[in-house]
Amino acid sequence: MIDYSALLYDPIYAELGVPATLTAGAGAVDITVIDDTRPKASTSGTVEVRSVGPGAFARIPELAGKGIARDDYMDAVLAFNGRSWVVRSYELRGSPNGEDLGEVRFLLKEAALG
Amino acid sequence: MADVREAILARLLEVVAAIPNMRSAYRNNVDITEDQLPAVIVLDGDEESDGANDVSMKQPNRPYNVQMTPGILVQVQDANAVIGSVIATFRSELIKRVLTDTELNEQIVKTGRFGNGAIRYLGCQTDVGWSRTGYAALTAQFLFKYALKPEDL
Repeated sequence: MIDYSALLYDPIYAELGVPATLTAGAGAVDITVIDDTRPKASTSGTVEVRSVGPGAFARIPELAGKGIARDDYMDAVLAFNGRSWVVRSYELRGSPNGEDLGEVRFLLKEAALG
Repeated sequence: MADVREAILARLLEVVAAIPNMRSAYRNNVDITEDQLPAVIVLDGDEESDGANDVSMKQPNRPYNVQMTPGILVQVQDANAVIGSVIATFRSELIKRVLTDTELNEQIVKTGRFGNGAIRYLGCQTDVGWSRTGYAALTAQFLFKYALKPEDL
C-alpha cells in the first residue's frame, strides 16, 4: 500500500509548511502548518464586504504524535506567520490511508477579538 | 426645482452617517472592505406611484402620491459573542434617528398640498457569518410617502 504520509504529505509540508505553535489543553506544541488563509466575501443583497477567511492545514499524525487529540482542537490557539488565531471549527481531510492519517483544516478566528 | 426623492435620499445619508461608532457611510456603494466597517449604506431602492390607479382625464403632470422604499444596510465585524448586541444597537439608533429626524419628517416628506407625507419603518433582515472574526449585516426598510409634483422637478 502506498504510504501517503511519507510520499505526499511530508514533501508538501516540507516545502509549503511553516512553523506554528498550537496551544491546547495542557501546553504548547510546535507543529508545521500550511497557511490556508483565503479571500472571503460576505454578501447581503447586492452589497459585498471583502475580508479573509483564515485557515490552516495540519497533519493529524503529527498532532496525535504530540499529544493533541481531536477533542483538543476547538478553542486551541494557533500562532503562525506572525499572527495568533483561535480554532473556531475544523474539518477533517481524510487520506487514502484513512482519516487518522490525513489532514485537518483549522477554521480560525482572530485571537484578539474572539 | 425640488426633487423630493433626491432630497430624502441625501438627508437619509446624513442621518445614518451620524450614528455613533459608525466608521463609514455611503450611498449605493456595493463594494466594501473590512477596514471600512462598521459601515452603513443607503440604497436608493424602489418607488411606486398611484398613477396606475388613476387613468382619468387628469393632466399627466398632476401631483402624484409616491411611496418610496429605500434600503439601509448596516454591516459590522466584531467578536462573534457580541455581534448580536452590536448590530441591535445600530438598529435602535437607525430606527430612532430616521423616524425622529426633524428635517426628514417636517421639511422634506410633508411637502404635499396638505402636508400628508409619512415615514414608516417596515422591518429588517439580518445576516451573520464568519470572516476573520464574526460578521453581521442588517438591512432595514423604510417607507417614505411624498407628493411628487412634476411641475416642481
